[in-house]
Amino acid sequence: MQSFYPIRRLGLRARLTLSIAFGAAALSAVLSVTAWGLTRENLLKQRDDNAVTRVLSNAGTVAQSIGPRSDSKDTGFEKLIASLPTPQGAQPVIYMSGQWYAKSPLEFGRDEIPESLRRTVDGGQAARMRYERDGKLWLTVGVPLPVTGASYYEGVPLDEVQRTLDGLAISLLGASALSTLAGGLFGYWISRRALTPLADVGEAATAIAAGNLDTRLVVTGDPELDVLTTSFNEMAQILQDRIERDARFASEVSHELRSPLMTLAASLEVINNMREELPERAQTALDLMKTDVDRFQQLVEDLLEISRFDVGAIKLHLEEVFVTDVVLAAVSMASNAAGSTSMPVLYDEDVSEVVVRVDKRRFARVIANLLDNAQKYAGGATAVRIEIPPVETVDDESSADAAPVATGSADGSPEPDHVWVVVEDKGTGVPEAERERIFDRFSRGTEGGNRGVDTGVGLGLALVDEHIRLHGGRVWVEDRTDGEAGARFVVELPVVPIGEEAGADALEDVA
Amino acid sequence: MGTRILAVEDDERIRTAVKMALEDEGWIVEEADNGEDALDAFGRHPTDVVLIDIMLPGIDGFEVCRSIRRQSDVPIVMVTARADTHDVVAGLEAGADDYLTKPFAPKELSARIRALLRRARTTDPAITNLKFGDLEIHPEEGLVLRNGDEVHLTKTEFRLLVELASAPGRVFSREVLLERVWGYGYFGDGRLVDVHVRRLRTKVEVDPANPRHVVTVRGLGYKLQP
Repeated sequence: MQSFYPIRRLGLRARLTLSIAFGAAALSAVLSVTAWGLTRENLLKQRDDNAVTRVLSNAGTVAQSIGPRSDSKDTGFEKLIASLPTPQGAQPVIYMSGQWYAKSPLEFGRDEIPESLRRTVDGGQAARMRYERDGKLWLTVGVPLPVTGASYYEGVPLDEVQRTLDGLAISLLGASALSTLAGGLFGYWISRRALTPLADVGEAATAIAAGNLDTRLVVTGDPELDVLTTSFNEMAQILQDRIERDARFASEVSHELRSPLMTLAASLEVINNMREELPERAQTALDLMKTDVDRFQQLVEDLLEISRFDVGAIKLHLEEVFVTDVVLAAVSMASNAAGSTSMPVLYDEDVSEVVVRVDKRRFARVIANLLDNAQKYAGGATAVRIEIPPVETVDDESSADAAPVATGSADGSPEPDHVWVVVEDKGTGVPEAERERIFDRFSRGTEGGNRGVDTGVGLGLALVDEHIRLHGGRVWVEDRTDGEAGARFVVELPVVPIGEEAGADALEDVA
Repeated sequence: MGTRILAVEDDERIRTAVKMALEDEGWIVEEADNGEDALDAFGRHPTDVVLIDIMLPGIDGFEVCRSIRRQSDVPIVMVTARADTHDVVAGLEAGADDYLTKPFAPKELSARIRALLRRARTTDPAITNLKFGDLEIHPEEGLVLRNGDEVHLTKTEFRLLVELASAPGRVFSREVLLERVWGYGYFGDGRLVDVHVRRLRTKVEVDPANPRHVVTVRGLGYKLQP
């Protein structure tokens, strides 16, 4: 089986949804990061510029106050620092002759100013530096005051900016999360919408597989979709044509074969009427011909029936009958036709009132085919049984290997849903592996050869299967349940509930 | 004089083979290979049974059936390709008494013809004249009257009516009627009974859609309302 798509764990829809969600996440992340970065740069640059301007002006003030280089240990620095116009939280620091003067030396002094900045300023260059200290962002600007031999530093806390940025980051994160979610929802919705036609295709394909060959997709007029719709419909049409052509071919061939068969059958009867006048060799030849014309006729009938199944042209002629009546009549007719002694039909009293809805003549074919099959492969059926299935086999999957023991429900159990018609033989049974296959068309007995010389055409059991399925039942083969060697072919039919019989006028043709 | 069968079949080989096989059974067989010739031959020769293949060129088998039925109550056996098509019901409604599907054994055909002729000739002398409301049945004379006027029934319809009338009010299942009227066993086609009952009703009932004489007993069969 060739698959056009690699197997993935996630469905197409999940993948589409996830892709769009990821896309939304990535896009909003990029946008957020960019927005955050730009805002940060802008805010900080503005702060920097303000700070530098102010620090330079303050430095001028400081330089003037100190005057030309003097060695005096001035005590007026504290006052000077306090008088400088600084925004809240800014920390002006004066460095002179190895001494640090600050608003509050404990809070901001030498240690708070990075060494690299100090070295640059000591080297006679004004500099600024942004750094983080104790979890806080600082901007410190240092200005050498060459004439005085001092330096002026000012530390500006940037935590306000930091808070703004943090707030922004949270907002952006939230927005990103929202847009990811929105992307996911959108993706879910869009994939649903986009995949609706795919679901339609799936449904149509299922319908076609179920035998509704004339199922087609609606052409919507959407150019992209119609590529799929049109080719799907074309495929379905070709498939339908082909299946119908094949079936018609089989049907026509079979019909065409009927006329020569009619001539053959009638001519053979004419010859057979003077059988006694024929030499022995001719009699033998006549018998051979008769047997094979019969077989040929059966094959043509089977092929026709099969081709009717294929085009769904089977019309069941359903009647409500007692299961015992129809089975007894079918078994006796099959035995007569086969020229064999009548087969015992065994059943308990509990099935005597069971009514089934069957096409009597097709049901007779089913029984005849099963008996014929037993004849060919197992030396003949030993018994036909009518049973009420044991209760635990109500579920559908308990079929072939369950081999349940049939129990008579004479103990007054409620009306059964199903009834089993069982054809038992004393052959070697059917190996597990073959139990489904033998109901396929043209499948024959095992390679082991223990099923005897095949004389059939391999359509018998396939017809049994198709007929019983049309009757709403099923058929399977299992080992005999009484411990003896041999197979049990079980035909399960639904029981018509008492009181719900459709009545004499309800004879209906069902397709 | 032997029983004459008119065999209408367009396939010459089948016709020849079937004719020979039927002659071996002791019947006298007339042949016709199309509808026109069949009607022509039917008009010219006395015929006891007609065998018609439904698939004929020109006038089809249904039409031949209807034409013959208009002028005679002779038993008609039609030959169809398939048993499960509408052909069977259409053929029976056109007036056929029984049908066979191709390919059939000529011996089976002989058995069917014998059954048709046997019941067409005999009625049960034990049954005396019967009267059901506006309906009078005279089994011995093969006569049915409604409001004193003769009703034309085919032999099969008549036999069916007499069979039902043999026990007024008793329900006859399809199987019983198939066996008694057509000589079929359990697997006889119930449609034979249904269509014949329908045909019978159009002749003996005032309102065939609401039969007063030949009534259906749901799930069981038919009975003649006493």
